[in-house]
Amino acid sequence: MTAVAPVSLRKDGADDRPFERVLIANRGEIAVRIIRACRELGIESVAVHSDADVHAAHVRMADVAVRLGPAPPAESYLRGDAIVAAARDTGADAIHPGYGFLAERAAFARAVEEAGIVFVGPSSATIAALGDKLAARRSATAAGVAVVPGTLEPAAVDRADAVDAIVEEATRIGFPLLVKAAAGGGGRGMRRVASALELPGALAAASAEASSTFGDATVYLELEILPARHIEVQLLGDREGTIVALGERDCSLQRRHQKLLEESPAPGLAADERRELHATAIRAARAAGLENAATAEFLFDADRRFWFLEVNTRLQVEHGVTELVADVDIVREQLFIAAGRPLSNRMRTAADRAAAPERHAIQIRLSAEDPARDFAPTPGRIGRWQMPAGPGIRVDTAMTAGDRIPPDYDPLIAKILVVDADRRSAIGRLGRALDETVVTGIQTTLPFHRAIVADPGFREGALSIDWVDEHWAELLRPARAVALDAASLAAADHLAGGSAKRGESASARPATPASVARSAWVQAGRIAARRRWPR
Amino acid sequence: MTGAARRFRLALAPGAEPADEPRDVELGSDGEIVARIDGETVVVRGRDGIDRTAIIGISRRMATGVVRAEVVVDGWRFELDVEDADRATLRRRATRAVDADPASGPAEIRAIISGRVAAVRVTAGDPVEAGQTLLVVEAMKMQNELRAARAGTVERVAVGEGDTIDTGDLLVVVR
Repeated sequence: MTAVAPVSLRKDGADDRPFERVLIANRGEIAVRIIRACRELGIESVAVHSDADVHAAHVRMADVAVRLGPAPPAESYLRGDAIVAAARDTGADAIHPGYGFLAERAAFARAVEEAGIVFVGPSSATIAALGDKLAARRSATAAGVAVVPGTLEPAAVDRADAVDAIVEEATRIGFPLLVKAAAGGGGRGMRRVASALELPGALAAASAEASSTFGDATVYLELEILPARHIEVQLLGDREGTIVALGERDCSLQRRHQKLLEESPAPGLAADERRELHATAIRAARAAGLENAATAEFLFDADRRFWFLEVNTRLQVEHGVTELVADVDIVREQLFIAAGRPLSNRMRTAADRAAAPERHAIQIRLSAEDPARDFAPTPGRIGRWQMPAGPGIRVDTAMTAGDRIPPDYDPLIAKILVVDADRRSAIGRLGRALDETVVTGIQTTLPFHRAIVADPGFREGALSIDWVDEHWAELLRPARAVALDAASLAAADHLAGGSAKRGESASARPATPASVARSAWVQAGRIAARRRWPR
Repeated sequence: MTGAARRFRLALAPGAEPADEPRDVELGSDGEIVARIDGETVVVRGRDGIDRTAIIGISRRMATGVVRAEVVVDGWRFELDVEDADRATLRRRATRAVDADPASGPAEIRAIISGRVAAVRVTAGDPVEAGQTLLVVEAMKMQNELRAARAGTVERVAVGEGDTIDTGDLLVVVR
């Protein structure tokens, strides 16, 4: 038997684990998330890591850890050969890719399959069909799903003779448009183009970024639909061909196509709109023979029409939102599906209820980025680290006090999720959670999330993918100014050694008793909550 | 110090962005400290009457005698240089003579993020316009363009493509 005591899932004591040992080909919070699922099932976990992550949480938590190489992703987490070798050496019978890195590389999935190891995700053929956004656009069109207007073939990059043709194509689609990476996701390898003049430069830049991030320089064109909401459907499929939709997520709050907040259900959808959306998503996935977890992404325009964007053939960063609403464990189900089991009854029941959800969940992505400096990355060392807790709160993170955030990887440092009976109470809970959150040492996106929660437009559910571009600049200044005022006073008080107490100052304010001795924390907290978060 | 309010001069640490003018703060009249939770956390009541929790992170006294304190309020992180206002005035007077005009003379452009130099778009001797791209730095999978703050001539390019850079490293000098 293995070093970890296996959890017996059957009363007769037979080993019902889907796998004995799973290698997690990722880092950060998602590696931790997957290791947790493995532990709960009595599966041993194998971590892989770069030199920058020797002391990282996922390395500490796993049963076995294997070094891949130096910090740059191309020399570590993108080295499919080294990862397959690590799985062989450690006797792992499956590899979970998480999201990002190699999760949507068909070539990697194929190498895993050929090594006789189970790839936790769709087959390499499905990844090739759905993961290539261009191929996905073609197959969705063939299945009768309305796709965002644009090209269906790769755009020529850096070829002087092809410039005229691509400009003509772009003019036919209309400006502004987006140059997107065929292998892309999360806004990487994407550029907005307002006129034909910008097109060649944008093609080259997007292509270069796509090449360095995904190892595939292919890009294509797509019309920019604005205003629009980004709504996606969580799908799960098993080997028998059953595909279910577990509900949708509204991820409209984005900046440069990088999601900042996700919630489920999408606010303001009628039950029939929701049912139709779920059915369309299943149709798009079935066209490519989906197996395991995937997400179909749509734009929802001002005329309440859904436009298909793409299918992501992997676990999403925001999968936890659906887990909280549907009360399921998607990662655990992924492992069982990968081992050849049919979809569990729990998932089927959850799918049946997905059109009429009885809970509301919201996730914010806390990132090492400065919302006052155009969200520039802020790698560095974390000082204090206090995450929220209590009813209806879930925090997915790999960070803790004193940890260094390497500059080599994604700036996401924690996902803070809340769940409650409805959207209004979930927002109240999120405000409370953000009040409890403290990170020092680096600037994070916390102020941005606080501003969103307090924003009347967000509270009403008036969302659009250009909300951040439209509103953040005007919210930023006053919010930062009052914080700077308070910080200045606190710093002055700190220099004064905390001796400048009330009543000793020149100001002749009516003296109320200093509240330090009597539960000052609670008092201040209550006042703050009452005044700052509209009810 | 009974009866007399103490005034302090505060400025964001150099390199902070967006920058802010140095300001004088008087404890007790510009808002108040309503509670001290522990050595690192105080509750500040601002002029708007709202209580905010301020977290004091790392603070240290520098060679000049100025204390640099990290303070986080509402998730905003500031590095503030704080000193007694009278002392600040004296010190300022003593150093004014050597202050250079920031609009002329060479401008050293330093890295504000660590990462990898993905592209170098200028070489020494090139004339540059304000806003022109000098370098492209790749950090956390994003390509960030570094642009000239003002027009001038490139005096020196201190890094090459593929170099790994740390925060504070000299990148380009524009005269």
